[in-house]
Amino acid sequence: MPGGLQPRDRPRVVLPGMIAPTEPSAGRALAVRLSNVTKTFGSHTAVDDLSLDVPAGSVYGFIGPNGSGKTTTLRMILHIFLPDRGDVEVLGGRSTRAASDRIGYLPEERGLYKKMTVRRVLAYYAALKGMNSRDTRDAIARWLAKMGLEKWADKKVETLSKGMAQKIQFVSAVIAKPRLLILDEPFSGLDPVNLEVLRAAILEQRQEGTTVIFSTHDMSMAEQMCDAIFMIYKGRKVLDGTLASIQERFGAGTIRVRSSGGVEALKGIEGVELVRDLGQVQELRCKGDAQEFLKVLTGRARVQLFEVAKPSLHDIFIRIASPSAEEVRRA
Amino acid sequence: MRKVWCVAWTEYCNAVRSRAFIIGLLALPVIICISVGLQYVGAKQRDISDRKFAMVDRSGELFSVVAAKVRERNARQVFERGEQGSGPQVRPAFIPERVEPGAKTDADLEAELSERVKRKELSGFIFVGTNLFETGTNVAPRFAWHAQSHTDNELADWLERTIAEEVRRVRFERAGVDRAVISRLTSVTPMRRLGLGSVDSATGKVVKAKEQNRIATMAVPVGFMVMLYMMVMSAAPGLLNTVLEEKMQKISEVLLSSVTPFQLMLGKLLGSVLLSFTLSALYMGSAVTLLLKAGMLGLIPPATFFWFVIFQVLALLMFGAIFSAVGAACSEIKDAQNLMFPVMMIVMLPYFAFMPVVQSPNSTFSVVFSLFPPATPMLMLMRISIPPGPPVWQIALGFVLTTAFTLGCVWAAGKIFRIGLLSQGQAPSFAKLVKWVLSK
Repeated sequence: MPGGLQPRDRPRVVLPGMIAPTEPSAGRALAVRLSNVTKTFGSHTAVDDLSLDVPAGSVYGFIGPNGSGKTTTLRMILHIFLPDRGDVEVLGGRSTRAASDRIGYLPEERGLYKKMTVRRVLAYYAALKGMNSRDTRDAIARWLAKMGLEKWADKKVETLSKGMAQKIQFVSAVIAKPRLLILDEPFSGLDPVNLEVLRAAILEQRQEGTTVIFSTHDMSMAEQMCDAIFMIYKGRKVLDGTLASIQERFGAGTIRVRSSGGVEALKGIEGVELVRDLGQVQELRCKGDAQEFLKVLTGRARVQLFEVAKPSLHDIFIRIASPSAEEVRRA
Repeated sequence: MRKVWCVAWTEYCNAVRSRAFIIGLLALPVIICISVGLQYVGAKQRDISDRKFAMVDRSGELFSVVAAKVRERNARQVFERGEQGSGPQVRPAFIPERVEPGAKTDADLEAELSERVKRKELSGFIFVGTNLFETGTNVAPRFAWHAQSHTDNELADWLERTIAEEVRRVRFERAGVDRAVISRLTSVTPMRRLGLGSVDSATGKVVKAKEQNRIATMAVPVGFMVMLYMMVMSAAPGLLNTVLEEKMQKISEVLLSSVTPFQLMLGKLLGSVLLSFTLSALYMGSAVTLLLKAGMLGLIPPATFFWFVIFQVLALLMFGAIFSAVGAACSEIKDAQNLMFPVMMIVMLPYFAFMPVVQSPNSTFSVVFSLFPPATPMLMLMRISIPPGPPVWQIALGFVLTTAFTLGCVWAAGKIFRIGLLSQGQAPSFAKLVKWVLSK
């Protein structure tokens, strides 16, 4: 990216009791840089001293509980909100407004004119991004064919199913060939078939060099698709790095078990904390020796699965954002 | 500016392609046609059943006269006169019935005859007192018409006219005055109402003043005001709906990722101006064509058209900005309706004041009111359309004040629009809106 941002060399902020952020952007130009950004609404601080580097060409997953500041952060990147403090740099410049034509945005659900035809909506959004009408015409035809929606070009948006509308919404975000694509909950409410179509389209964007930032509550999707993951909690950054580096930090003592005794067999074993009961499988954290724990468990029940594993993103999310984790942090 | 025009053009296309626009466009001429048609049909389909009435004549002289006049009227007016004699019935026949009061009091008779009216035996009844022919009496003679409903006045009016005429005739006769002489002496030629004469600059000949049509001269200023009001109300309130819908559908979020809030609002306002121009071109064009054909175009001062366009733009920007801001500030239609009430009061202001302005366009009231910016577009336009029009300084001052006020509205609405568009939850109070306007 000519003239692009370069990764910061100063040390990152590490919150007390939180996880030290990783360095996913080393050696690569940046698509987005947030430097000590704070945004308040009245007395509520939505985003608090947030710093973030998003490398160009990466898929960056934004996760966090509802109301944690994800959408506010995305809106600051889009220049819809201005930060109260700190700097936002996008695609090589401080004025993200100037870069707006090179940013595609898909809001969480809706975002389309119901009474307009699919073609007119797409043409309008492309025109706002500065596309000329001939390129727009070609792009609409190409994208609708790719999404299997050619026959719906001249139908009103209100006649589309939710999955179709979501795909059109995605097309409206990418039609002007953005360099940065911001997707807010892109997979929300999609059936598996449409989900796969959209996932493939997003990955194709990355292959073409587009930086993709997407927020999601679907942890498995974030694990599968993202080069790096960023988690915001109560307006502050609590995770930032590759999935592997995050799992590395949270990995110690994570065990998956399936036994004939189920969750009952685990009760009372010293040094073991049940993290998640998945029904047939239980996910545990073991503070002591895993082999000792296995011995105790085999004495109680027939063990069918015993795996020392990396924690899932879901598990990490729960560890950070669950009420009990909050209590631990306070203590 | 490219993005502003892109928004404006899309807003315009969305509006003119909507079913509501087509219906609205056709609504006015259709309503006028229906109204005229109904009046015509209604007049043809009037109730022509017999009107039977009772008459209590304590003078003892009037019933026979009334009965004779009724016969004469029924013979002449009830049936349309065709080429071959009598045509179809077009008016009701009157059927009088004499009621002898005898020893009964007026109150008894009134109660008795009222019952007959309720039983539909009579359309009504009339009392004529004993002293109706006398003049200068201290006690007013009884002369009263009783009916269940006083909306159909044909019979009552005819009776009043006929009896009054007879009373005057008898009084003249008793005073020994020749009525024909009185009529001749009191008759005066009606005054003509003319415009101004002029000298033709080409030929040097004097062009005589033309007859003025009082109804037409009144209709021109009122017509212009109504037309401008319609143009504003056809385009500006729609902005509230589109902004609110875009907010509720999260469309505004997508748009704001490409344009600034002010660009978005300005685009919407320009779209509404385009829409309004389309409507006025159609309506105004039709009206001018009709006036031209009727040879009445001269009734409209040419400057009126120029100021119509100027004030149309100012009114649309002013009210459109306010409506957009209301739409952006609210998250639900119900909230928007609550905020709309005070706005609609301001929009309606010229309607409350237009009659005194038409009747006296240069009074202090008219001057002051037409310089009040929210009312200026409609009231100043009205004054301009009444020859000779207001002084130029008043038009200029009205224009400057309204332009400044409009810019203020657009600026303030832009602030509310920017903050309100992404706010959620309960509609802000008026105090909060002011806070938004004053925020940096």
